[in-house]
Amino acid sequence: MAVILVKNLKKYYRVNQKEPGLWGSIKSLIARKYYDVKAVNGISFEIKEGELVGFIGPNGAGKTTTLKVLSGLLYPTSGSVRVLGYEPFKRQSILQKQFSLIMGQKNQLWWDLPPLESFLLNKEIYEIEDSQFKKKVNELSEMLEVSDILKIQVRKLSLGQRMKCELIAALLHSPKVLFLDEPTIGLDVVAQKTMRDFIKEYNKKFKATIILTSHYMGDVKELCKRVIIINQGKIVYDGLLEKIVNRFAPFKVISIDFEKMAEKEELAEFGKLDEFDGIHAKIQVNKDEVPDKTSRLLSKFEVADLTIEDPSIESIIREVFSNGRV
Amino acid sequence: MSSKYWAVFKISWENGLVYRLNFTLWRVRSVLQLLLVYFIWWTVFQTQDQIFNYTKVSILTYVMVASLIRAIILSSRAVDVSAQINDGSIVNFLVKPLGFIKYYFARDLADKLLNISFVIFEIILLVIILKPPLLIQQNFEILLFFTLATILGLFLYFAMAFCIGMLAFWVENAWGPLFLVTIILEGFGGGLFPIDILPKNIYDYVMLTPFPYLIYFPAKLYLGNLPTMEIFKGFIILISWVFIGWYLMMAILQQGLKRYTAFGY
Ligand SMILES: Nc1ncnc2c1ncn2[C@@H]1O[C@H](COP(=O)(O)OP(=O)(O)OP(=O)(O)O)[C@@H](O)[C@H]1O
Ligand SMILES: [Mg+2]
Repeated sequence: MAVILVKNLKKYYRVNQKEPGLWGSIKSLIARKYYDVKAVNGISFEIKEGELVGFIGPNGAGKTTTLKVLSGLLYPTSGSVRVLGYEPFKRQSILQKQFSLIMGQKNQLWWDLPPLESFLLNKEIYEIEDSQFKKKVNELSEMLEVSDILKIQVRKLSLGQRMKCELIAALLHSPKVLFLDEPTIGLDVVAQKTMRDFIKEYNKKFKATIILTSHYMGDVKELCKRVIIINQGKIVYDGLLEKIVNRFAPFKVISIDFEKMAEKEELAEFGKLDEFDGIHAKIQVNKDEVPDKTSRLLSKFEVADLTIEDPSIESIIREVFSNGRV
Repeated sequence: MSSKYWAVFKISWENGLVYRLNFTLWRVRSVLQLLLVYFIWWTVFQTQDQIFNYTKVSILTYVMVASLIRAIILSSRAVDVSAQINDGSIVNFLVKPLGFIKYYFARDLADKLLNISFVIFEIILLVIILKPPLLIQQNFEILLFFTLATILGLFLYFAMAFCIGMLAFWVENAWGPLFLVTIILEGFGGGLFPIDILPKNIYDYVMLTPFPYLIYFPAKLYLGNLPTMEIFKGFIILISWVFIGWYLMMAILQQGLKRYTAFGY
C-alpha cells in the first residue's frame, strides 16, 4: 500500500508584484499585478510503508513547499495528494495523530520551560496514555542520549540538544509518517551523526515512512536507498541512489600518494586527473579497469599510499542539477 | 478532550511565572494607573461632595472595581496570535490535533488567573494603606449581574483581540489597528471615568459600541444604582456583541487560514 501518494501536484504561490518607491506601492494598491511562483510544478510519486526517501534539490527547488502540502499546511493549486489515504489539507485529527513534520528551523518547544513540559503538553494534545508516554520518553531520550537534560530550560540547551528534544517532542505520538525538513541543519559532525543513526534506527524499528530533505549529502548517502531529485518544481530523478551514482559515475577515483614527485604526462594515460600536485593525485578510472590500472600504477611508480574511492555524491548531484534532466 | 486545554492552561501558567520581572513591571504599571486615577478623583472630591451623580464613595469604588475588571477582561494575550502568524510558528498548531481558538482561550484564562490573583492582593493592600471609603456590595442579585457581565465581557474582549491579532494573515503589521482600539478603549471603555458623565446623546451612542461593556458596564452594575431598564438594555447589547464578535472571529479565522494555506506566509 502506498502511504504517500502524490499525483500531478502543483503549488503556485501568487505574489503581488511591487514596483519600488512610493509611487510604485500606490500603483500596486490600485492595480494589483500578480505573478505566480511555480514552486511545485506537476510532480508525482508514491512512497510505500517503511521507506526512507531522500528528497533533494538546490535552494528553492520546492522541497519545503511539497512537505508543507503533505502536512496540510498548504492547499494544492492542483493535483491530488493522499497521506495514509487522507487528504492532508482537511487537517483531520485522525491523520494529524499519525504524522509529524519536523523543520530544522521551526521549534515547537516552549523556550522558557524544560523540554519535559512541552512533552507533557504534547502528551495531552495527542492523547497519549501515561504508560506509553513514559515508555516513549525514556526510549527516545536514551536513543538520543539526552535523558539528563529534560528538566533544563530549553533556552539553556545547545542547538544540538534542542534539536534532539524537538525530535522527541515530534515523535512521542509514534507517528507512522515523518516529514523531516533539514533536520541536521546547523549541527556539528558528532550531533549530525547521532541524528542520522537515530533516524535510521527509528525507521527500522518502527517501520516509519520517512521523507527527508537535506543539503548534506552525507545524510542522504547514509540513510536513503531511494532519492527523489527535484529542481525548479519538477522531479528530475526518482529511483535508487545507487543507480544514479552508477549512471553518472561509472568510474572510481584512485587516490595516490607518491614517494617521489611524479610527472603529469606519465599519469595522463591512466585516466582523467581530478587533482594533481606532483606528490598526490586523484585519477578517474572506469570501474572495470580499476584492477588492471591499479597494478600498473603500482609497478610504474613508487607509491606511498593508494586508495580506491567512490566519487563524492556532491559531485554527482551537481552533475544532475546542471544537466537538468536524467 | 478537555484535558488537552487544561494542559495548555497549566503550561501557560508555568510560562507566565518564568517572566517574573516582566510580570512584576506589568503589575507595577497597573498599580500606578490605579493610583493615578484614584488620586485624580480624590482631588476632585476635595472641594465637592457630588459630581455628575457620583459621590466620593461611589467614584472611588468605581475606580477600584474597574481595576479588578481590567485584570479579568483586558488581560488578554490573544493579540499574540499575530506574532505567531508572522514568525510562522503557527505551523506548530496547524499540524496538531488542536483547536486554535480553544488553545488561545486556555492560554488566556491562565494569564487572567495570574493577573487576578495579583490584582486582588494589590487592592487589599491599597485598601489597607489608603483606607478609602468603599461600597461593599451585598445585594446578591447585583453581584450576580456583575459577575455575569464580567464573564460576557471577557468573551467579548477575547474575540476583539483575537480578530485584531488575526489581521496578520493579511497585513504584516497589525499595530495600527491595535493602537486605535487601545486608544478608543481607554476613552470609551470606562477605565478613566464612568461613561455616564458624558453628555446624554454621546453616552447613548457610546453605549451602542462594544467598548463600554469591557469596563464601565460591569463596574456600574456593581455600584447597584443602574435602573432595571438600563440593565436589561445593556445585557441585550452586550450579548449581541459577544455573538457578533465570536461569529466574526470564526469567520476571520476561516478566511485567514484559507489565505494562509493558499499563499504560505
Ligand atoms: N510564501 C511564499 N510566497 C511566495 N513564494 C514562495 C513562498 N514560499 C516559497 N516560495 C518560493 O517557492 C520556491 C520553492 O521554495 P521552497 O521553500 O519549497 O524551496 P526548498 O526546496 O525548500 O529550498 P531550500 O533548499 O532553500 O529550503 C522558491 O522559489 C521560493 O522563493
Ligand atoms: Mg526548504
